[in-house]
Amino acid sequence: MNTVLDLIFRLAWWLILAPLLPGIINKVKAWVAGRRGPPVLQLYYDLARLWRKSVVMSTLASPGFIIGPAVAWVALLGAVILVPLGPAGAALSFWGDVLLMLYLLALARFCTAWAAMETGSAFEGMGSAREVSYAVLAEAAMVAAMLSLCVQTGSISLATMLAPSAGAGAVLLAAGLFTVLLAENCRVPFDDPNTHLELTMIHEAMILDHSGPPLAVILHGASMKLLLFSVLLTEAVLPMGDLSPFAATGVLLGGVLTVTVGVGLVESLLARFAFRRVPLLLTTAVLLCLFALLVAWKGGAA
Amino acid sequence: MVSAGCFVAGIAGGYRRPRTWLALTVTGATAALGASLWVLFGSADWEWLSDITVGGERLHLRLDALSALFLALLCVVGATGALYAHEYWSDRHYPRSAPRGRAWWSSLILCMGLVLTLSNGLHFLIAWELFTLSAYFLITLENKRPAVRAAGWLYLAASHVGTLVLFAFFAALASHNGNWDLGPAMREQAGLAPLFWLALFGFGVKAGVFPLHVWLPSAHANAPSHVSAMLSGVALKMGVYGIMRFSGWLPVPPSAGWVVIGLGALGALLGIAFAFAQNDFKRLLAYCSVENIGIILIGVGGALLAVTQGDAPWGRLALAGALLHVWNHGAFKSLLFFSAGSVLHATGTREMSRLGGLWRAMPWTAGLFALGALAVSGLPPLNGFVSEWLVYLGLLGSITGKAPAAWAAIPAVILLALAGALALASFAKAGAMIFLGAPRTQTAARAHEGGRWMIGPMIGLAAVCAVIGLVPALVWPALARAAGCWHPAWASAESPAPLATLGLVHVALALAVAGAAAGLWWKSRINGVRRGLTWDCGYATPTARMQYTGGSFADIGVGWFSWILQPERSLRRLRGALPAGAFHQERIPETVLERVITPVGEGVIRVSSAVRRLQHGRLQAYILYVVAGIAALGGLVLFGGKP
Repeated sequence: MNTVLDLIFRLAWWLILAPLLPGIINKVKAWVAGRRGPPVLQLYYDLARLWRKSVVMSTLASPGFIIGPAVAWVALLGAVILVPLGPAGAALSFWGDVLLMLYLLALARFCTAWAAMETGSAFEGMGSAREVSYAVLAEAAMVAAMLSLCVQTGSISLATMLAPSAGAGAVLLAAGLFTVLLAENCRVPFDDPNTHLELTMIHEAMILDHSGPPLAVILHGASMKLLLFSVLLTEAVLPMGDLSPFAATGVLLGGVLTVTVGVGLVESLLARFAFRRVPLLLTTAVLLCLFALLVAWKGGAA
Repeated sequence: MVSAGCFVAGIAGGYRRPRTWLALTVTGATAALGASLWVLFGSADWEWLSDITVGGERLHLRLDALSALFLALLCVVGATGALYAHEYWSDRHYPRSAPRGRAWWSSLILCMGLVLTLSNGLHFLIAWELFTLSAYFLITLENKRPAVRAAGWLYLAASHVGTLVLFAFFAALASHNGNWDLGPAMREQAGLAPLFWLALFGFGVKAGVFPLHVWLPSAHANAPSHVSAMLSGVALKMGVYGIMRFSGWLPVPPSAGWVVIGLGALGALLGIAFAFAQNDFKRLLAYCSVENIGIILIGVGGALLAVTQGDAPWGRLALAGALLHVWNHGAFKSLLFFSAGSVLHATGTREMSRLGGLWRAMPWTAGLFALGALAVSGLPPLNGFVSEWLVYLGLLGSITGKAPAAWAAIPAVILLALAGALALASFAKAGAMIFLGAPRTQTAARAHEGGRWMIGPMIGLAAVCAVIGLVPALVWPALARAAGCWHPAWASAESPAPLATLGLVHVALALAVAGAAAGLWWKSRINGVRRGLTWDCGYATPTARMQYTGGSFADIGVGWFSWILQPERSLRRLRGALPAGAFHQERIPETVLERVITPVGEGVIRVSSAVRRLQHGRLQAYILYVVAGIAALGGLVLFGGKP
């Protein structure tokens, strides 16, 4: 009974809370620009409307066009289930689950790119090419960040890895992971979700031809991914394991909110980078995470 | 024994009767598979010392768990390949080469089986040479085409460089031991350690370890596809088998682990970078094999490091990962080569930029290719993830334990992750260019699905991929036995990795994927699905030529690796008010072959032809050489110091 309640609580946190984040980001952006902006719950309305709409499919697309987003959504759901939630711990934790989480994110990427290529459009081709190519560097940064946590805690299970703080390298790790968060979730300065020019998009270019329930699933999956990265960033940096359950919950919520507002501020204050500068920024993220790894290695030895 | 008999009969009798040959091959493979599974999951090894002598040595066969693991793979790929070839390379389409192909196929399986079981150095070399030759004749089945003949020559030359080194290896071994016998008893003789480098080079050529892989892409691309599957799935593994066998039976130098893990990491990254850049889909698959051999070597290198650093238990995980990856790569790469063969069969081209939209004509092939692509990219819940995960666990074990090996393991983990992400990109590209979008040429539009003889074996291999992915705990006993064979201290049966949990997660994931896909499909159908043109910024008549091509898809990644890929581009832009035309050509050279080996070879030839001028057949000049030589000797005697 307890396990069932626990699972329901978890799914509620991930599934219901996730679409709030893009709303908060948009509100922050509007506030900085002095506009009123769309309501915070806008994505919920969008999802509800899209779920009722009919689907327009390209004449070229195979069933993979609809199966792809479904698989990607399940993969993201699997990844978030593995992430521990502050005091509640993880629903499922085993030795090496961190790799499963990374590879589930990769599975989601593969399926989104596959579904995008179904349409035979050059825009979707551009979007997928950019997504899978930049992900190579983002993946290196992610793995380096996870390695630094492994060295820090001597464990390769997310629940133990994320409990203590990241130690002396926390600032480096936070900067590196935040950059990866921006890249993986296609936010400014890597991608501009609000642009009207398809040539300069990444994620939005991949889903140009999607509509109706598949689009709803994609958008919901993207918001879950954003929440996953914010939770991961908060828990990696802050010593969640040392706090009382009540405080830990507050810190987790506060951390996620801070990250979200941070994304909003970055989007308001920065313009999108030219694509040739994207690899430079991502390489910087890799280096930051590598330095965090070095600090963790040296810190543990002393 | 039954299987050997079947293959001999297959060589003799299968020449004219394809159905008899097929039955014999499948029976032989099943018998050998049964034997190897019996060894892997039972407890006893099988050994047979006969009185028959070949070359003055008694025939000695031994099937232990390590050989059995490779033999099982050989049987599965050998049988499925034979079934596939029944339609793909049938007598009707290839009346001249199909009978030859059948005979050489049987001979190849037989020789590889002998390589795996013989435990006498001399016989091993003979079987190794025969296996190389059988593979050569299979690669050059289509010997009317110049590209095939060139690929065959390159393969033969490279293989013989490797065999030459192996001759030196086995000869040194025999002179040290006083006999040709091979076996675990050699482990105690510390003086044998330097021989490991000879074995690494000789077997490395066959395995396609990165800088020695020069023969691999053209041979895999130009061979018939069932042969490519056999080459990539099994023949490369013979090199891996050699490296594993002799690093297990011989003492290894302390630096061996560092070198092997370094070669593995380098090969994994650069192999897949080359794969990403290819436009020929069979070459892409071939370079991807270089990557996968790299992953296997990372595991082996980790295990070697663990052994030299005091039997650390994490080494066992790395080795188990490498062993499982041998199976996994054999299964999914054969599946991918079979689907590539079906595409080639249906369209007659290997250029991805001439294909597209094939899913409509070939739904089975497209679906099975997608499954193989997921597996080869190491994505859960399929088998590729399980073996990569085990290798990762091994390396991470050394990192969390802060062992000295971590200095190799940290870069290896990061490069492995990079290679994984690039593999995903490569297979997203390949799948999309071949099967998705609109057909780019008329031939692609007229494609047809392969028959049941071609699809059946592919479904079988896909099932292997799925079963290993969903129930990984099933294969652990076999891996533990083989690991114990490599290093006796690692023989214990219980698994240090939570494979059962991973299996449950994978099953749950597979069910959820099926449920979600069905649910979303159903919901979309209820809401109504309307078909429309792809949205291209409001462009009303998009054509197939407006699609993204493989070259444009890979452009970003090729840019990062241009220091090694060295792409050759020629471009003419549109100029003036009435432009005459434009073109853009891009070619990715075989960097190691064309920029290193060919120039060196040409240099050698130039020096040799300069030296040859001395050798022109004029008697007077030869007398002059003799006189000059005697004068020089005399000078040496007169003016040289006392001895």
